[in-house]
Amino acid sequence: MEKRAVYAGVSTPALLLIPQLAIIVIFFYLPAGQAVWQSFQLQDAFGLSTIFVGFENYRDLFTRPEYLHALGVTVVFSALVAFFSLSIALLLAVMANKQIAGAGVYKTLLIWPYAVAPAIAGVLWLFLFQPSMGMVARWLQWAGIDWNPLLDGTHAMILVVLASTWKQISYNFLFFLAGLQSIPHSLIEASAIDGAKPMRRFWTIVFPLLSPTTFYLIVVNVVYVFFDTFGIIDAVTHGGPASATTTLVFKVYNDGRSGGDLGSSAAQSVILMIIVIALTAIQFRYIERKVNY
Amino acid sequence: MAEVILNDVKKTYPGGFQAVKGVSFAVPDGGMCVLVGPSGCGKSTLLRMVAGLETITGGDVAIGGRRVNDLEPMERDIAMVFQNYALYPHMSVYDNMAYGLRNRKTPEAEIATRVKDAARILELNDEMLARKPRQLSGGQRQRVAMGRAIVRKPSVFLFDEPLSNLDAKLRVQMRVEIRKLQRALKTTAIYVTHDQLEAMTLADMLVVMNAGRMEQAGAPLDVYQRPASVFVASFIGSPPMNFVSGVIESLGVVKLESGETLPYDVNEHIAPVGAKVTVGVRPEIAHVDDNGPLTLPVELIEELGMGRLIHARLGARPFTIAQGPGEARPASASVRASVPPHAVHLFDAGTGLRV
Repeated sequence: MEKRAVYAGVSTPALLLIPQLAIIVIFFYLPAGQAVWQSFQLQDAFGLSTIFVGFENYRDLFTRPEYLHALGVTVVFSALVAFFSLSIALLLAVMANKQIAGAGVYKTLLIWPYAVAPAIAGVLWLFLFQPSMGMVARWLQWAGIDWNPLLDGTHAMILVVLASTWKQISYNFLFFLAGLQSIPHSLIEASAIDGAKPMRRFWTIVFPLLSPTTFYLIVVNVVYVFFDTFGIIDAVTHGGPASATTTLVFKVYNDGRSGGDLGSSAAQSVILMIIVIALTAIQFRYIERKVNY
Repeated sequence: MAEVILNDVKKTYPGGFQAVKGVSFAVPDGGMCVLVGPSGCGKSTLLRMVAGLETITGGDVAIGGRRVNDLEPMERDIAMVFQNYALYPHMSVYDNMAYGLRNRKTPEAEIATRVKDAARILELNDEMLARKPRQLSGGQRQRVAMGRAIVRKPSVFLFDEPLSNLDAKLRVQMRVEIRKLQRALKTTAIYVTHDQLEAMTLADMLVVMNAGRMEQAGAPLDVYQRPASVFVASFIGSPPMNFVSGVIESLGVVKLESGETLPYDVNEHIAPVGAKVTVGVRPEIAHVDDNGPLTLPVELIEELGMGRLIHARLGARPFTIAQGPGEARPASASVRASVPPHAVHLFDAGTGLRV
């Protein structure tokens, strides 16, 4: 039985809750409500008149090939970033977990990229891979690869995947390392005595015991890719070439701010909001039910 | 089935700390050897060296006539029961027990027979086999850990304080079960514990360790009756042995610091007259005797039901007498006591070794 503080009246708990609630209301519920309301409206190009159109904006979205394309791009993009950032982070964490000497330095170095702002991370990679002067780009060209993310959609995608993955590895690494360290050492020893070689030990004991961490990270990474990669995409490709890297969140910004189509943009953000709520719900359900042992 | 031989086994950690300082003993085939000692004495390290979980920095370990120093744990043909059981939390009880066999590519049909056999011996029913470890009680988990060891039919069982996480009642019950099981399977076993009672009851062979050294090895009763040092004498036996300083007054008589004299058995101890000694007397052998040579002011009497403990003083030292159920509770503030000569243990006052 967990301990619960019991207050005699209503005023003290209310007073303690108000700051937090105020922040949530002002910065989340009000803008979210506004977005929902806007998503049912249509504005003319100059913003002079607004009419209520119901679900028209939503219906319109799903008939537009650009939106479905952006949805596809987002799915591919998030799958790639989640897969690479998770698997590389896991590999690094397993190695860091073994290596005890100098682990502090190693860990600190691995964690640094997380402190870099997304746009700056994007610019960093942009410079490295810039076709005419980027260092890596020139190596690629020497190697005979016609590298040009400004013209080639696949190259652009590779570039944003690289930048986003690099940025996210630190976070995943930290969680995987903590997860690995919470596995009792005697389990590993027991499996060694039980005749499991290191690879088998990892896949039959360590990996399953890491599954709560892994599931949590998958959800967090997907949410990251859906929203926080905006800075990277904006700095590196602007969603181009030919919308090859236009993800849902980039499209929200692009349609609303550059395109001036506030109704459609609002409808898109509402859809994104629903996706994230669903992901979070799945995470809570799954971690609570399936992954505790 | 195998003999385990340790020859001058040493463990020095990279920092220079010597956890095990040269230990040699042999566990006969089918025997149960118990390593006992206070925490930090190196007993667990020694066991883990036999298991292959710690490297051996000096000496040799041989299992069944084969030097195993450089073999991986899985190649040593051993099974280990850990203090925290180390059950795989994400696997069912059945899978926990089958894991080691599956790693060795045993056919599933044979795995099923062996797991069922082990489960029957350990009284784990089918419904329990399907459960996850967290759904079991402490005693059941302990049984599963045992089951995981026995399905493999190893040459040697290694137990690392397997009962210390259980409550007192269950501990006694499991102790008996482990002993019966080991006798029935006739598998060589090494068992580590800090509990001297567990050590006495389980062992064919008792190895008492202190500060990385072996203090004494032998049959439990021999160790109890003829402890090789003050350390062993104080560690084995509960309540612990009473100690008083003394000087050999004449052949067969020791004079205590408190002034009284006690006769001792000259066939047991050889000490020159005038030698300074530590005199040890077991509480259960000292007895209240109105004509006895010792006078002891009583400080406290503890009733145990099956007897009582009289906490008294002999000179400046505490001195305990354990009484059996039939004996009368002393009424006075001071008792007289006597000790039979064969029960007077003498140790060198300087080295602490039996003389």
